[in-house]
Amino acid sequence: MPAEEMGKLTDRTRLIFAASSVVFLAVLAISPFKDFRREWKQYKRSYQRFAQSRPDTKKLLADYRPDIDQIWLPGMNVVDRCTTCHQGITQASLGDKAVPEPFRAHPPIPHKVRDWGCTVCHRGQGPATEVAEAHESTLAWEQPILPTRFIQSSCGTCHYADLPQTPQLTRGRELLAELNCQGCHRLPGIERPAMLGPDLTNIGTKVSREWIYKWLKEPRTIVDKDGNVTVNGYETEEEPRMPKFRLTEAELRGLSAYLSVQKAKAMVPYKLDARVVTAWRKNPELVSQGELRFRQMFCSTCHSLAVTRAGETKLIGGDIGPELTKVGSKVNPEWLIAWLRDPEGYLPHTRMPRYGWSDEDLYKVTQYITTKLTDTDLLTSVPQMGSPTEQEIQLGRRLFLDKGCGSCHSIEGLNPQKDFGPDLSALGGKNASELDFGVAQIPRNLVSYIQAKLQDPASVNPAARMPQYNWNPSDLDAITTAVLSMKGAPATSALQNLVVTRKEVAFHPTGSFGEVYERYKCYTCHKFNGYGGNLAPDLTYEGSRAQRQWIVDFLKNPQTLRPTLILRMPQFNMSDKEAATLADYITMVLQHPAANPAAVDAKQFTPAMVALGKQLYEVKYQCQSCHTIGGAGGYVGPNLNNAGGWLTAAWTEAWLRNPQALIPDTIEPRRNFTEDEVKALTAYLMTLRQVIKPQKIASISGSRTLSQGSGR
Amino acid sequence: MKLHDWTRILLLMALVGVAGCRHPAESVKTDPLLKAFDTEVDWTDPLHVIPLNYQQAQGKRIFYQQCVWCHADATPAGPSNRSNLTPVPPLLNDGAVLNAESDENMSNIVTLGGAAMGKSAMMPPYGRMLSADEIRSVIAFTRAIAQPPFQPSARAGLQ
Repeated sequence: MPAEEMGKLTDRTRLIFAASSVVFLAVLAISPFKDFRREWKQYKRSYQRFAQSRPDTKKLLADYRPDIDQIWLPGMNVVDRCTTCHQGITQASLGDKAVPEPFRAHPPIPHKVRDWGCTVCHRGQGPATEVAEAHESTLAWEQPILPTRFIQSSCGTCHYADLPQTPQLTRGRELLAELNCQGCHRLPGIERPAMLGPDLTNIGTKVSREWIYKWLKEPRTIVDKDGNVTVNGYETEEEPRMPKFRLTEAELRGLSAYLSVQKAKAMVPYKLDARVVTAWRKNPELVSQGELRFRQMFCSTCHSLAVTRAGETKLIGGDIGPELTKVGSKVNPEWLIAWLRDPEGYLPHTRMPRYGWSDEDLYKVTQYITTKLTDTDLLTSVPQMGSPTEQEIQLGRRLFLDKGCGSCHSIEGLNPQKDFGPDLSALGGKNASELDFGVAQIPRNLVSYIQAKLQDPASVNPAARMPQYNWNPSDLDAITTAVLSMKGAPATSALQNLVVTRKEVAFHPTGSFGEVYERYKCYTCHKFNGYGGNLAPDLTYEGSRAQRQWIVDFLKNPQTLRPTLILRMPQFNMSDKEAATLADYITMVLQHPAANPAAVDAKQFTPAMVALGKQLYEVKYQCQSCHTIGGAGGYVGPNLNNAGGWLTAAWTEAWLRNPQALIPDTIEPRRNFTEDEVKALTAYLMTLRQVIKPQKIASISGSRTLSQGSGR
Repeated sequence: MKLHDWTRILLLMALVGVAGCRHPAESVKTDPLLKAFDTEVDWTDPLHVIPLNYQQAQGKRIFYQQCVWCHADATPAGPSNRSNLTPVPPLLNDGAVLNAESDENMSNIVTLGGAAMGKSAMMPPYGRMLSADEIRSVIAFTRAIAQPPFQPSARAGLQ
């Protein structure tokens, strides 16, 4: 190329270079401007302006920096930049609702934001610096913010033990255990309930094929008098534990055939004393007397009955055992008698106590159940099926395993499939891309997925084997919370150290006490060293609290001490020997070190102390606001009419000093009594005695409701 | 410009709140005693559901354990002890009485008991049983359910 032409080219090139430099400069100039306009910087500046408008500007801006704020906790994998915009999160003066977001302070919680970060509880993307990316799921970020109504699930990720502050999570975990979800799924930390679905080894001796068909098709279907079907009970929130399986007609026939021939162990019918039967059979009072005994024995503490009052049908009674409104149309009367006499003979893992029955009571109560607790229409919609064919039985046997029945119910000689349902131990931490939404038309996120699966498994996967449950909205949220809390094993060892494990304790003593304890299933309602039910008082330290004679009398004839309680201790018809065995063990073993009954001698109390105690009780501390003595006083605490015949002096003193040290859950506040006041109050309480006549509770007339009855 | 930004932020917050799930069904009447953990049905209007933050929800939990027996007309067990007492204790939502009390005063009554504050000795002290945080949360719950509603600015000596 000639040199002169090169010069010309150079001119043109210069022009191009000049133009592109201008463009380049312009671009360079834009980027600082763009950087200046970044979302988080705008929040930074507006926080500064906002702080200027507040009286405590200096404090609000004390740790203000114009760049990105970050909470970095390497051990926990936390890199949270949330405080870049949420700058007032730790400023107590910004807690008011009038303070605009994102500057409002966090409501007070037990953990400090600076120590824990934000995403540990709220999820979302900690490192993101844009509002949308931090809060929602985008293509690059998959973990959206957890809606606050499920926030308790984050507590459960580390706190495997139940916390009083997280009632929703606790309820969800209870539901998981109660509905035996871990029969099919792997769920960490959920204990298998004491009673799964009933053992079906001998179901053929208990119910008819028709009843099984009906139950499988519509568990607890109720038809009202106009013929309208109300599935799942009485529009109460009581759920039957048995879910609804979507079974075809052939499947119903097969399963009912298979189950109705399960009679491995022949039932031994019990022959009632012929004299008792002859004496009562024609008596018009038979059924009403049976009902009275049914009430007196307080079957309703565990079993509910549907009662219609003023046009409204409600279930009344406890939910430990099955609801019994129609049980008379369900069970074989001979089976019923055998069952009541010896529940463990039929169902080894039952929670039903073995009552001490007289033939007379047994006859009256079973007559009441089989004539009054019935529904003649119960089986009218069931087709005539005749006796089961071999083909039907074989089909039923296969279905029993295929449908997962074996995960809750056992049949001797039949081995259920292990890990029938998917492992859910890490479901709560999954990203949306790890979930199979199937045919579901729902938002693509974990919460919607869990709720859709829970409400209608077939809406996600039409071939799902999971049965149908019927949730009320708050239980649905509670169980979702519990499932969300299961995020699998902690990712780092630092997190592993934070886990608060759940204590697993069981209390099954041996010896003669153990036998009586198992017979009456004391642990179904009472707690012993953290093991057992919540329905009745914690008996861990009962031996320090109650006098031995009082325990014996109470076991023989339970009286209610707390008038606000609706459910009460059943009348077991315990023998003297059994009551003595229980009382001996309780007074010897179930002791609190701070309340040794031998340590305080009631003889030291002088009349002057008694008088002072009475005055303190009535005037200075006005204990009558909660406790009743004589006819007057409050309903909150136990009735103290017989305090001297019931409590030990040592327990009373220790209790007055610090009730929570003895029973942590008690609602009686700890007072600031002086030692003299403690002695005086104890002296006074020990003088209170009331002889309870060993009358039967027959004064409760048959027409009274449960709650009124226990109000006496 | 500023207003516009705020609208956008509020809208985003609302969107995040509802992302992928339904709101607590406000028309569904839930059982205030057992089931609703982070809401309380207005005692004077069953259709009005009051949302509670963490602190207020903790206050609700403690209220239904400790206080409900005398400061409400319905309790988880049914009957209330309130009518048994003279003087009759105020209902916890009684704004006409309780809104006038400062947080500090309320906290003292709960902590030290009625007698120490010149009120009925029937109100026991809870200072040795409940923590200061728990007592604060009960007061926060009281403020949340007050009818007529509690206005923080109406309180003397706020600053």
